[in-house]
Amino acid sequence: METQYRGAVLGGLICQVFFGIVLIAIYRALYAGKPQEIPLSHVTTYVWLQQAFFRMLLATDPELQDKIRTGAIAYDLCRPLHLYSYYYARIMAQKLTGSVLRALPMLVFAALLPEGWGLCLPASVPALLLSVLGLILGLFCVSALENITMAFTMRTLDPRGMQGMLNLLMMTLSGNILPLTLFPDSWQRVITLLPYAQLLDTPIRLYTGEHAVSRAPEALLIQISWTILLIIIGCAFWRTNQRKLVIQGG
Amino acid sequence: MSYISVDHLCKTFTVRKKREKGALLREKEMVHALKDVSFEIEKGELVGYIGPNGAGKSTTVKILSGILVPESGSVTVGGMTPWTDRKAHVRRIGVVFGQRSQLWWDVPLLDSYSLLRDIYRVAETDYRKRLGELTEALQLEDLLRTPLRLLSLGQRMRAELCGSLLHSPELLFLDEPTIGLDAVSKLALRDFLLWENREKGTTILLTTHDMEDIAALCPRVMVIGHGEKLYDGGLQEMLSKYDTKRTVQVEEHRNIDHVIADMYKDLGI
Repeated sequence: METQYRGAVLGGLICQVFFGIVLIAIYRALYAGKPQEIPLSHVTTYVWLQQAFFRMLLATDPELQDKIRTGAIAYDLCRPLHLYSYYYARIMAQKLTGSVLRALPMLVFAALLPEGWGLCLPASVPALLLSVLGLILGLFCVSALENITMAFTMRTLDPRGMQGMLNLLMMTLSGNILPLTLFPDSWQRVITLLPYAQLLDTPIRLYTGEHAVSRAPEALLIQISWTILLIIIGCAFWRTNQRKLVIQGG
Repeated sequence: MSYISVDHLCKTFTVRKKREKGALLREKEMVHALKDVSFEIEKGELVGYIGPNGAGKSTTVKILSGILVPESGSVTVGGMTPWTDRKAHVRRIGVVFGQRSQLWWDVPLLDSYSLLRDIYRVAETDYRKRLGELTEALQLEDLLRTPLRLLSLGQRMRAELCGSLLHSPELLFLDEPTIGLDAVSKLALRDFLLWENREKGTTILLTTHDMEDIAALCPRVMVIGHGEKLYDGGLQEMLSKYDTKRTVQVEEHRNIDHVIADMYKDLGI
């Protein structure tokens, strides 16, 4: 679906770029008034990386909503598939395709912006590689998280409740609206341990060098642990669902 | 032992209805969709399954497909219980639910089919041969590269049917396949189903309200009403039993679907 509707991708791209510029303007104003500990270039990098990979953050699957409402979901049960894995792969594919299409042009644009507005270089080559690894693990983690809301959606029929809540938590606690690096230290210590921060905050910190390379194994381990836990919970929910599923209508 | 064996099948749904007085609380009502339904179907049969709306036809098909779990009763299809051996069972069946779409909406048919090929793990050579057979029989060659959303209903139904048969299932469940189709499409679909049944020996269970479909395809028919099986036997016997009033017309008209089809051909549409 992502590759079919090119216009939507372009629209999304322009939207994210606009958001990036506005957010950076706000933080520049903040720094002009009261400079923070973190260098401004780290904050602008944070904002651009968040915007570039925005598609990975949110749970939106309009096709699924219709499928659940009309009962076409029955067809998925008629296929020789492990349902949890099928939906997991589906969620991940949507996030990945959507992101790659938008991220590349956006990052090129951000890299060309002047100092204090754009993307800064990674702290080091190992930092860059680790941040890519962190991003991949983060993708697994957030897909597992979304698969749990999907299991709820099967029961509640309307995805807006659980997905809305997930989106809200993701937007705030992943550092999208306000970089987690600007939160008070005590808050940061808790938030960075939550699954929501695993998607983008961890890889971005590895990229900018906030997380020293030596701290990388610890950060990646948190990501992996959350992913495994969320997968186990998700599988359990899906299994209960299958037993109790009722397809409405004739 | 029969290929499909259904024994004392019971299924109840809990429906929450609004109370007459007081809008906040809702009362629970038990709907007995299936009450003690039993029947046997042999391999290669073409059976019609009819009944008024809400009789329990779709519920039976959903249970036979393994989607729903009944309260009591047993079902075996080819030696397997549909809902417990779901994956193994589902690999051998094809389903077409007339009012719902199984193919992916935004992508061309060919992409949907190749995804189905991967899901069912069909060998490449088998897939190509089968796709060729089906597209020729259902006249889909020109439509393969079109996204599903751009097709008309008749084309969509044919595409759905092709999709559900790609993995050469031995059993096919059709739930209202001709709903909304024009005369030409209906006839083409019927011819195709007959061919599929005769050439491949595919067992077909057809649920429909269109009696012409039943008359053209099914030598055996089962009637269900209010969750109970009311008749199970030959179509002709049923007709002679209930067809008591007959008006003999001097001028006999052909089946009206054939008439319409010829008209369209004549008008070049």
